[in-house]
Amino acid sequence: MLPLIVLLVTIKGLLMALTRRQFLTLMGGSAGAAVFFQACGVPEKELFIDSPIEMPEDLVTGLDNWYATTFKEGMSSQGIIVRIMEGRAKKVEGNTDHPLNRGTHSSSAESMLQLLYHPDRIDAPLLRTGQRGSGEYKEISWEEAIDRLSSQFTSLEQSGEQDKAVLVTDPVNGHLGMVVKKFVSATGIRHMTYEVLEHTTLIKAMDEVFGQDNIPDFDIDNASLVLSFGADFLSTWVSPTRYSRGYGEFRQGHEHRGKLIHIDSRFSTTAANADEWVYVNPGTEGVLALSIMKSIVDSGQVSQDVIEALFDGNSSLLDLYKPELIASFVGVSESKIKEIGDLFVKSEHPIALGGGTAGAYTNGLQNLKAIYSLNHLKGNVGHKGGLVFTPNSPIEGLETTNTNSASEFKSLIDNISTGEIKLLLLKDADLYYGLPDSFGFKEALFDIPFIVSFSNMKDDTASIADLILPQNTLFEDWGTDVPLAGPGYQSVAFQQPVVRPFFESRGDNLGTKSFPDVLMTLSQVLNKNLDLSGDTFLDVLKDGARQLFDLKRGTIQASSFQEFWMTLLARGVWCDVNEKSINNSYVGKVETVPEAKFEGDGRFNLVPFASAAFYDGRYAFAPWMQAMPDPISTATWQTWIEINHKIADELNIKEGDVIEVRSSNGGVITALAMPNPATPPNILGIPVGQGHRDGGRYAAGRGSNVLSILGTNFDDKTGALAWASNKVNITPTGEWIRVPKFENSVPDFPRDEHQQIVEISTGNNNHVGH
Amino acid sequence: MIPGDFRTPKPNKNQLIKMAFAGLIGLIVFSGIVVALTFVLSSWLGQPIIFGNEGPDQPIAFPHNVHADQLGMDCTFCHRTVEKEAAASVPATGLCMTCHSDVGDGLEEIAKMRSLYDDDRSIQWVRVHRVPDHVHFVHEAHIRYFTAEEGIESSQVCSKCHGDVKNMEKVKQVEPLKMGQCVDCHKQNNAPTDCATCHY
Repeated sequence: MLPLIVLLVTIKGLLMALTRRQFLTLMGGSAGAAVFFQACGVPEKELFIDSPIEMPEDLVTGLDNWYATTFKEGMSSQGIIVRIMEGRAKKVEGNTDHPLNRGTHSSSAESMLQLLYHPDRIDAPLLRTGQRGSGEYKEISWEEAIDRLSSQFTSLEQSGEQDKAVLVTDPVNGHLGMVVKKFVSATGIRHMTYEVLEHTTLIKAMDEVFGQDNIPDFDIDNASLVLSFGADFLSTWVSPTRYSRGYGEFRQGHEHRGKLIHIDSRFSTTAANADEWVYVNPGTEGVLALSIMKSIVDSGQVSQDVIEALFDGNSSLLDLYKPELIASFVGVSESKIKEIGDLFVKSEHPIALGGGTAGAYTNGLQNLKAIYSLNHLKGNVGHKGGLVFTPNSPIEGLETTNTNSASEFKSLIDNISTGEIKLLLLKDADLYYGLPDSFGFKEALFDIPFIVSFSNMKDDTASIADLILPQNTLFEDWGTDVPLAGPGYQSVAFQQPVVRPFFESRGDNLGTKSFPDVLMTLSQVLNKNLDLSGDTFLDVLKDGARQLFDLKRGTIQASSFQEFWMTLLARGVWCDVNEKSINNSYVGKVETVPEAKFEGDGRFNLVPFASAAFYDGRYAFAPWMQAMPDPISTATWQTWIEINHKIADELNIKEGDVIEVRSSNGGVITALAMPNPATPPNILGIPVGQGHRDGGRYAAGRGSNVLSILGTNFDDKTGALAWASNKVNITPTGEWIRVPKFENSVPDFPRDEHQQIVEISTGNNNHVGH
Repeated sequence: MIPGDFRTPKPNKNQLIKMAFAGLIGLIVFSGIVVALTFVLSSWLGQPIIFGNEGPDQPIAFPHNVHADQLGMDCTFCHRTVEKEAAASVPATGLCMTCHSDVGDGLEEIAKMRSLYDDDRSIQWVRVHRVPDHVHFVHEAHIRYFTAEEGIESSQVCSKCHGDVKNMEKVKQVEPLKMGQCVDCHKQNNAPTDCATCHY
């Protein structure tokens, strides 16, 4: 009624061309009418209050709750706390109780919010209806989905071909790993573990040098010298959140200021932060390490026991690596090698660590072994300011599963091509994206009769699957974590759902489910006994917590199990800082390092590197991560090429020129040139992470995937992909695209546009400018 | 007509019609004024002055007097967030069921509530007290102030605005809850009277 009157008054006003006084009178009238009709009441819908059916005790409108959970990321993990308001997750922060990150957290942990609320999340099981890869699916119920999946298992079992089914997961640990292992052994299928940027070589090196099966905690905090070979530990390597925390103490702690020397053929974030960045020729890191070792041994400061253990008493093996002999081969001057050796000897707590590119050549394992053996020279294993290994988990079977190497995946693909694989199950393993085109997976996948994906979003591999069973995201699921790169003592971190599943409203038969619960249900349907302590994953987890409670030690002490469980969930992690029992006496023998082999004869060494934003491509779904500037180039939302600025000048390449990168196996990608004076002339650095075929609206079709053009060079010993051993050529395409970057996006102001600066020159001719 | 003759002449038919017409108009105008005044007064006082001031019918006839008076339950037992947040909040049906899964068999209203709970359907309560959209009333701040100032229980503070709810079988609004009342009370208690205190 009121709007009608106002409208009529306005129209009347317009028609009558009112005076100001008349208009105000009428407006006063309409205001009176507003008061008058107030008594007519308010819209009916505003008068209803829906009472909740159930309401948690701790839900208070306008007040936040913080719940502790665990974010697992490759080899490491972070304890996080999540801010919840009215049942919705709003913000992620670090959990101060977690032994690895101690209150800090990474941008990737933050981006998990965008996974929770991603508009392209799958909200029900999907069954393919169109051609494989066409992206046409129809929604089915969980009941039907489990039916279809179990019938696949049953038919394989009937024909005795269980081993023709393969479950590929990311490296699983904790109770999830336990469920997976039991499921695999009960059903007789094969299990493989996939990581795009695998750590198999690193883990093998730990085994051979230190006799340990985990990655140690590098006590950078208390170190006085860190010698890092290719490991971009401040940005992406293993556990950057933990190392960055240590690095802060290392640099600005009250007791000392440590020195960081980074040895790498690419100028990485860690190189940029180092006191000294030493360029090394690609693939010669191990040779350089042995040369440094030679100068250390020659200093006479190394005890005879260590020499005995490392070389069987005779260190003549190192004579091949005299600094003067190998200086030109490794690209580091003789004096620099000796200087580093001297620093290492004089340093109280030196740490040598290596990884990343250093382990990604055909001689990767030998490189890493040579590098890590340096630590034995100063006997800094198991000590403050050194390498501290983590004892086994207090509960049996929670350790991380071993990662399968790329060569094992190559043989899997050969098996697929010969029809030996009937069923492929994928959980957080994006084979389509991560495996180079030269492996032939993209063609072979059409030979697999049935592909099942447990992805919560259509990643590149999920979008070719026949059946998609969407799993819960991190914030909606239970779990435990015993990190492979542990804190140096026993710890078990717990992951709890901090919000109700986002698609809960779709009912029990649609929506998302927990992956281990699906496996447990499936085994019930298949009538397989997994020998687990409960019917749901939560029961299994609670049983695990009870085992911890029964130990009666560690950071959480309680009089009853209920109290223990509540405290555990509130703190997010159980640790026992006193439990460090480990044998640190193993010393692996030092071996010679063979020369690295490269694929192709291109002009440039292609150095793919894990992107600070996307790591191996897993976070490309998140617009926050897309918009996060790379620490070196400040580029965002794109794939770029780091190329030396002088080489770029020579080839007439400017920033933003679209460059074609061609590898010897015929693989081609395009990316934007970003000339940089810090890039060595023979190096072409390209970030991993973009170039997804699918993966949600923010990732799909954006940038290029450098992994796709890699060859099939493997580490000689471990079979890991030697992803840094390709030589490529480049060709400008003639196109230009402005690089979206954080820095320098405003053009320079014209300098002296009107030429008012007076030029003063010397000489007889006292020339004065305009 | 002669002087002293007090007999009024009989109006003729025409005059009768005119008078009846005028009377009718007068009656309509008078009722119009009465209706308008009722409206204006209702609107001024923020509640109906005639019909409807006994409080709205609720989907379940919840007797506050039984719970709050006879059983002696505290207001904050059901309106749990009144001490913590802006809204007092209506209780979840699950909370009703903590008692009524056992208590109240055979009562029609309890049966209604149980069936809603079993069907996962919420109860659509009809709002009794409502301030306009551009006003923010924070329960928590008022409860905090008065409990400290007057040393009384939270539940006693409620009655300042909501009246003697524990003796109402059916809740109705008793205070006008108009801006004048807010401002008066704020002045008496030295509370801020800036516009932005409530209008933000």
